[in-house]
Amino acid sequence: MAQISFFSVALKNLKRKTFRTGVLVFAIALLVSLLIFAISFTVSVASSLKKSSERLGADLVVVPVGARGFAEEFLLESKNTSFYMPINIIDKVKKIEGIEDLTYHTYLSSISGLCCDIMPTRIVAYNPDTDFIINPWLQESLGRPLQPGEAIAGSGTSENLGLGLLDVEATIFDNRFKIVGVLEQTGTGLDHALFMTEENLKNIIESGKSPLKKGDISIIFTKLKKGYDPDFVGRVLEGEIPEVDVVARSDMGEKFISTLADINKIFLLTTILASVLTTFLVWAIFSAIANERSKEIGIMRALGAKESHIVRLYLLEVLVLGILGSLLGVLAGTYLSAMLAGTFSLLKNISAGLTGGQQTAIAFIGLVIGTSICVAGAMMPINRIKKMEPLLVIKED
Amino acid sequence: MSFLHIENLTKTYKVDHETFMGVDNISLVISRGEFLSIVGHSGSGKTTLISIIGGILKPTSGRVLLEGIDICGLDDNRLSEYRSSRIGFMFQFASLLPILTAKENVLLPGIFKPGQPTENDKIAGELLEMVGIGDKQDSYPSQLSGGQQRRVAIARALLNSPDIILADEPTGDLDEDTEAEILQLFEKINREQGVTIILITHNLELAGKAQTTLRMSKGCLVDV
Repeated sequence: MAQISFFSVALKNLKRKTFRTGVLVFAIALLVSLLIFAISFTVSVASSLKKSSERLGADLVVVPVGARGFAEEFLLESKNTSFYMPINIIDKVKKIEGIEDLTYHTYLSSISGLCCDIMPTRIVAYNPDTDFIINPWLQESLGRPLQPGEAIAGSGTSENLGLGLLDVEATIFDNRFKIVGVLEQTGTGLDHALFMTEENLKNIIESGKSPLKKGDISIIFTKLKKGYDPDFVGRVLEGEIPEVDVVARSDMGEKFISTLADINKIFLLTTILASVLTTFLVWAIFSAIANERSKEIGIMRALGAKESHIVRLYLLEVLVLGILGSLLGVLAGTYLSAMLAGTFSLLKNISAGLTGGQQTAIAFIGLVIGTSICVAGAMMPINRIKKMEPLLVIKED
Repeated sequence: MSFLHIENLTKTYKVDHETFMGVDNISLVISRGEFLSIVGHSGSGKTTLISIIGGILKPTSGRVLLEGIDICGLDDNRLSEYRSSRIGFMFQFASLLPILTAKENVLLPGIFKPGQPTENDKIAGELLEMVGIGDKQDSYPSQLSGGQQRRVAIARALLNSPDIILADEPTGDLDEDTEAEILQLFEKINREQGVTIILITHNLELAGKAQTTLRMSKGCLVDV
């Protein structure tokens, strides 16, 4: 059967000059892959920051004065840092109006050497009686609290330490620990830590091998009573207790968000330039096509084609080009995002990736923008094509 | 009511502030099923006249009435429908789309006609058989001789069962034998299908085979 349609004629037209078609598809694919990478990067960083701060479950985070950046690096970026404040700060925080609940962590970085037989990692000691951050994760993964002499690894730590098997033992600051399991991925910087109860810290402090002193804690997580504004309570806390800095949940990762805004500007500018170039390329190629095929268009008009038929025919060509280029761009952009994620420290240190829903939405945006740019570039030549006087172009040599 | 009535048709062109007369006040009546040839020198207005009849050129003044309907007053869409359903065009050059096979070229006008009949594929095959190149259905224009390409163009002009075939020097670049064969085809179509044919040619011998021969000079009809 030789049945033909607008679509089959459009496809045959595209096959007529495969190199030219290939160049257009490549240009659109390049633009869309850049767009997909830029959006994936931005969304990945932004959503990881949001998810991390939400997973911590605290309204306010209290840290030693000047340690706000370190705390964010520890909680969001998985960087090894240590910062301490005296435990009696807890009592002062408790007295602030609006505080409903609090718990605290002590952070410690293990070191390579005779005292430790595992790769340097960070240790999080928590109070099992007051904790509302680690306990829920433990309940999900282990189903019971940790016992003295036991530790549990974050999902990232287990990979770093090569803890493929459960119930392995490790020496940390001359203390022997049984690592009883691996936590589910939480999407926070704490995925790269080893968890133990604060009771174990006593033995570590007594060993004298760690920089930790008795009565030191690193961070206090607080929950607020209903109706209290985190920013207001934070300001009161900082005013009443000069030894601390306070970070509200919504302000977590402020440093990254400001960096991200700068990166976004660069991405936006690059994408706009690439879009303009691609639009111009499509315009130039379709202008050439209009000149090349003017006689054919005249013949089709004489055979009964309406202006709308000519538009449909060329629009189909543009749509096939746009969709094909955009699909290739989506694949290339997604692959690039995955491959390059490890080379960007901002992405490498942030645990969570994109969800399936986010990836689908980004792919859809890429598809729509790539195709729209293609259509926009071709519209002017297509309008010129449809307005061609049949007799004039038929008689043209 | 006459089939095709051309009334005081005039077409002028402006080139560099100078006005040229393409068609100069022509009036003509053509009956259904007539085989008419128009001869004349280059630039005498033959192509302009059939382009206006075919609805691909608007006149400066005058009317073309097909069964009482003035096609010069139709908008672009209606004019396209008129060309699609009532007119079959043949041009003075190889007018096939190079990307389509012979059969696909014949089928091309079908996609522009509302309610494209599903049997077009069969009709296209039969038309190609009728013009004598049934075995070349899947050949591309570049694989066909000039005469074979003209035959495909005739089959294409017939696909939508037009009332009128407008052939503008369709055999201009063909050898005498092929020219004669193409003319025989026109005669056959005119005789068997009752299609009105308006043939433009510079070949007086060829023109003489038509029922009526008109001569154009400087935009006017002479020797009617």
